[in-house]
Amino acid sequence: MRDPFSGYGDTVQAHFRAPHNTGRFASGDARVFSGSAGARRHGRQVEFQLRVTDAGRIGESRYRVYGCPATIALCSLASDALQGRTAAEAAVFSVVALAEQLQLPAEKRDAALTVEDAIRAAVGRYNSAQGPASAARVSSQVQV
Amino acid sequence: MSEKVIYLDYAATTPVDPRVAQKMAGCLTCDGVFANPASAHAPGRKARGAVEQARAQVAALVNAEPGEIIFTSGATESDNLAIKGVAHFYRDKGRHVVTSRIEHKAVLDTCKQLEREGFEVTYIKPDANGLIQPQMVEQALRPDSVLVSIMHVNNEIGTANDIAAIGRVARAHDVFFHVDAAQSAGKLPIDLEQWPVDLMSFSGHKVYGPKGIGALYVRSEPRVNLDPQIHGGGHEHGLRSGTLATHQIVGMGEAYRIAREELAKDVAHCSALREQLWQALHAAVPEAVLNGHPSQRVCGILNVGFPGIEGESLLFACFGLAVSSGSACTSADKTPSFVLRALGRDDQLAGSSIRFSVGRFTTEAEVQEVARIVSEEYHRLRELVPAAG
Repeated sequence: MRDPFSGYGDTVQAHFRAPHNTGRFASGDARVFSGSAGARRHGRQVEFQLRVTDAGRIGESRYRVYGCPATIALCSLASDALQGRTAAEAAVFSVVALAEQLQLPAEKRDAALTVEDAIRAAVGRYNSAQGPASAARVSSQVQV
Repeated sequence: MSEKVIYLDYAATTPVDPRVAQKMAGCLTCDGVFANPASAHAPGRKARGAVEQARAQVAALVNAEPGEIIFTSGATESDNLAIKGVAHFYRDKGRHVVTSRIEHKAVLDTCKQLEREGFEVTYIKPDANGLIQPQMVEQALRPDSVLVSIMHVNNEIGTANDIAAIGRVARAHDVFFHVDAAQSAGKLPIDLEQWPVDLMSFSGHKVYGPKGIGALYVRSEPRVNLDPQIHGGGHEHGLRSGTLATHQIVGMGEAYRIAREELAKDVAHCSALREQLWQALHAAVPEAVLNGHPSQRVCGILNVGFPGIEGESLLFACFGLAVSSGSACTSADKTPSFVLRALGRDDQLAGSSIRFSVGRFTTEAEVQEVARIVSEEYHRLRELVPAAG
């Protein structure tokens, strides 16, 4: 049931209360690529990590997040959705579309963009590591 | 999520005391005191008698004369009547009003309206504890000042101003003094015979009475004149027209009677529970920050800032709790509390501050459960947060 005050539906509420794939991978893993977006002073900060398999697919992801319930839930949902995708697919994965599917309030579009930016920054790091041709596809760090 | 909600938002509104509800029910139906108190017939005179008894009960709580109590629809209307009433009546004497930055919106928005009408308003910044000191008022006064409006207890942080001392400053400068006492009536002693206060606003629903009823104290000696804001029938000495809502007035009277008789018991109960809540929260979250003065305060309000987490998430995580971020009147607005920002809190801490307010029906078990839930959710959210950036 949609919460009348916040406008959050059941899925957002469930992922906010029990978010999936939280935390960070152990440092030193060469297959892990990190990206960040937002700043705490602006009310929203996301760090996303992607562990990419030798086959070039996202095996797992982790994130840390400071933000509203929508930001936390979108991180959780995106981390599930990214599993098994190629880096190229992850680079165009739309968290904004995910937010629209969830019928998040319009003012939460910034939350979706921040999560999306963090994911794309992580993909950018991966592409950079693959060589100049890949790096050109996605910018490595998103400035907000 | 538990279906049972623990209510710790007594500063927003209180449940009606069952004794009050019983009295009110006696004023609604054919066999009750339902007639128009302005009617001259017997049922009307009976209703008038019930209204006058309630007026005396309200006056007794604050040591005023019954004839100095004007019934309104609530503290917001009382604030409007007091501030605009004085400003309009005495506009030829001066057009300057002094208030503070952390007044209730009922005062601030009314002052903004006066500014649109050509008045000038000085908004005093509180000290770091959220208090308005008498010397701050002294410094803000001008030769053309006509009114000072300062709240007794702040609705968000619970700090209590020294109303008698501020009143002496206003009196020395021959300026009228209005006090919003919505959060203090029934929680702190108020003595209008001794205090140099000209106008004081009261609410019914903050004192276990019904919503939709309030009162304005208007000093009779020295007399304060007001321009009425509602016209039509000349009720309440011509200051507030409209058929008197007998059931609500009787409810407010009964609520104030109980508050007077049980003041010491209510204060002891709320003080103990508030202290228990703060101790439990502080033990579980040592970095938690108390907003407001540690001792110069009302008994039931506790405002705590939780550093390092986002405010909307904390409040949403505490879904089974009825608590408030900022005052209830502004909680729909997600911007950080203007009161906490006026105290110098940054946006993050202001945004992650929660107002807990305990009351007559709060239990020790509820307080302990609230402390457990809030601290668990705080630590859960804190775990998610990346290094500051």
